[in-house]
Amino acid sequence: MSALQKSLNPEEKYKAGKLGQGLTRIGLAIAAVFLVVSLVLGYINGDHWKRFLYAYVVAWSYIFSICVGVFWLVLLHHLARGRWATVVRRIAEAMSMAFPIVFIAGLGFIVPLALGYQDLYYWAHPDAALCLEKAGTACHEYLHPTLVHKLGWLSPGFFTVRYVVYGVVYSAMAAYFMKKSRQQDDSGDPKLSEQLRVASGPAMIVYALITCFAAFDILMSMAPKWYSTIYGVSFWGSACVGGFAALALVVLGIQRTGRLTHSINPEHYHDIGKWMFAFTFFWAYTAFSQFMLQWYGNLPEETVWYKYRLFGEWQWVSIAILVGFWGFPFVFLMSRWTKRIVPSLVFFAVWQLVFHWLDLYWNVMPSYDWLPSFHGATQIVTGPLTGNTAYHHVGFNALDITVWIGLVGVLLAGFGRNLHGNLIPIKDPTLGLSLAHENL
Amino acid sequence: MTDEHTHGPGADEHGAMGTLHDDGGRAVRTGRLYGVLAEYDTPGELMEAARKVRDAGYTQFDCYSPFPVHGIDEAMGIKRTILPLLIFGGGCTGTIGGLLLQWWCNAYNWPWNISGKPAWSIPANVPIAFESTILIAVFTSFFGMWILNKLPQVWHPFFRNERFNHVTDDAFLLGIEARDRRFDAEATPRLLSDAGALSVDNVYLDPDRASRQMPKWITAFIVASTAFALIPFAIAAKARTSRSTEPHFHIFPDMDFQPKYKSDQPMDMFEDGRANRGELAGTVARGSLNADDLFYRGLENGAWTTGFPRQLEINEQLIRRGKGRFEIYCTPCHGYDGRGMGAVPQRVAATGGAWQARNLVDASNPVVINMPNGQLFNTISNGYNTMMGYAAQIPHADRWAIVLYVRALQRSQNASLDDIPPDHRSGIQMPEAPTP
Repeated sequence: MSALQKSLNPEEKYKAGKLGQGLTRIGLAIAAVFLVVSLVLGYINGDHWKRFLYAYVVAWSYIFSICVGVFWLVLLHHLARGRWATVVRRIAEAMSMAFPIVFIAGLGFIVPLALGYQDLYYWAHPDAALCLEKAGTACHEYLHPTLVHKLGWLSPGFFTVRYVVYGVVYSAMAAYFMKKSRQQDDSGDPKLSEQLRVASGPAMIVYALITCFAAFDILMSMAPKWYSTIYGVSFWGSACVGGFAALALVVLGIQRTGRLTHSINPEHYHDIGKWMFAFTFFWAYTAFSQFMLQWYGNLPEETVWYKYRLFGEWQWVSIAILVGFWGFPFVFLMSRWTKRIVPSLVFFAVWQLVFHWLDLYWNVMPSYDWLPSFHGATQIVTGPLTGNTAYHHVGFNALDITVWIGLVGVLLAGFGRNLHGNLIPIKDPTLGLSLAHENL
Repeated sequence: MTDEHTHGPGADEHGAMGTLHDDGGRAVRTGRLYGVLAEYDTPGELMEAARKVRDAGYTQFDCYSPFPVHGIDEAMGIKRTILPLLIFGGGCTGTIGGLLLQWWCNAYNWPWNISGKPAWSIPANVPIAFESTILIAVFTSFFGMWILNKLPQVWHPFFRNERFNHVTDDAFLLGIEARDRRFDAEATPRLLSDAGALSVDNVYLDPDRASRQMPKWITAFIVASTAFALIPFAIAAKARTSRSTEPHFHIFPDMDFQPKYKSDQPMDMFEDGRANRGELAGTVARGSLNADDLFYRGLENGAWTTGFPRQLEINEQLIRRGKGRFEIYCTPCHGYDGRGMGAVPQRVAATGGAWQARNLVDASNPVVINMPNGQLFNTISNGYNTMMGYAAQIPHADRWAIVLYVRALQRSQNASLDDIPPDHRSGIQMPEAPTP
């Protein structure tokens, strides 16, 4: 509300210079080294790449979700006529412009799927369709009607088409907001802000829809029999925790190079921290809503998802996420000081980035163990979340780490590619307000 | 304000007594000097002035603006509020209180078995604990803010200044109280002017002491309404500890006893003494004609039909419909196989009783097998012995679908392998292998 404005400090280094190229080079080097190592490890595993692809989906969801989280700040900033975030908006725009490269990296699991790989998503496995042939007659316990009705939607061809649509729409939206913002750097035309404000409303709706559907497709369909309508919202909450945590680290990294040291101060870190805190709680709220309704409803096709997470080895991961992703950061990020003292905020950002990964791992990996069963005389694969919970293992693997680091390298490269020119929107009409921003 | 010009009794330590002129140039009644009030043009200038006043060592001053000004706390040198800590405490109290409340009600004082669910279970208690956390935290924040800001404050000496009326609109004001140790009748206004004030006014206390106190009638009103609000609690407390032969209180007697008749009440006005006039002869309620005896009653020329109504197409889909309805309405007693040992008879057996529902498929005593379709339909509609009728729950077409399914069940439960088409026989002989 303050009417106070500040102008850009004349000594401020706000040009990216070689920063972007350097980051891209480092990112690509990390990606190349770690993905090659992962390929070797995946091959050594000797399971027809199944473990490799599962680790790949977890890691890819991770970099995808960070783009989703950061891009939301860009949209929200315009939609709500935000002011505080103007100084970090260009960085958020550049981070969300990693969408095209992230979606290209995702081809690593989409292409095998489209070419007929059966062991990643159970719905792509021929045994999942057995029930269709025998519709109405005796079905195996797993071949539940809820799956039968999904097999039209969850087919490799249509799935690939949707994946391409998500990639194109995300990339186009991120590119539009980036392009107009950079145009304003040259022209200083305040009408561009107006245009982006008008565009941000519909863009937010489209963003919400495709984020939900992408979460349904890529993560929820790992357990194709199960369903939860709040799943996409919960994924988005987790994604925004990761997005704001990553933004805090990137902003700090850029300041460490001597850039933007005058413009971005603890007031802005404080607000990034507030969002991180808010989404930590929002994620917990939606995740608990999902759990409690299914736990209370006690329907077998719903509780099955939690059965394999609350019993056996996975219960320890569930407890770790409850305490680590929500309890601890929630209590400590509540204070104003943990968000304003930059080292403390950085600690929690790193912490949440680790637990965001664990959350995605917990969403995907319980579906890894597919047990064989018998249908009459024929042996069939019953797919994820069947059989005794004792047969289901957490099974951390070196691949989880190597693929993860490799794809984070891809994210850094995609980010660095767009880190050129001005690092803050120098002619944005709200820049002065953002520079003078103070929290009450 | 009045035209009267008086010197109030008792000048204060500064000896500052004066006459204040408002915009109309009229002298107003003045008293002891309360402080000085300066107006600034923008929030930024206000903040600058606050900084200067703070640096000059003043502590008894405040800023007044129509909206919150970011950074004003720091400019005024105000310590951070302890309100967040209070709210945190309130929130924790809410969580613990909410959990304790549920534990005491559900698990300790009055445990109640609902479908065998545990009386105490953390996930079920989270929503209430969450809500009570928010509730107590918000109350703490709201009332804590009032208390820390010394609200409600219905009167303030600055109200006597005309400019102060604009503070909720467009004025940015800074007031320094005369009781500040550094206050000086000349230096203080100069400091404010030098900081860029549009104007600096002295503000005097009203010499009439009564005008600075809360009116007596407000105090009386608060006391009276508080006492009044306690009456229901007092009545409840009395009712808990005493016996009475009086009837209940009726707060809205005309709602509890409405001047109207219900269908089962007597009424002297009519010869038969009933309020309910029944149907008029020859009228049919909408949708109740049901002239088709076959479809609605299972009768063909006055006898139970052995066929099915023409409206229904006999196919697999109808059998499936019947299976679904049968499994919803009939299996609790008759069982999935129709042999009369559903969940209810099993429960009777488990508690030491002996009762079973009619065996619908018994070939050795083929009472039901030999019943015409129409009679089966009638039994479903109107019941038989202890079985109640299902006309209210199951639409006519679905009742026929159940009849059809019962026929299929009678056939299948008494079938031999020869009844099965040869290409389907193999799967039946195969024993099911266990799942791992």
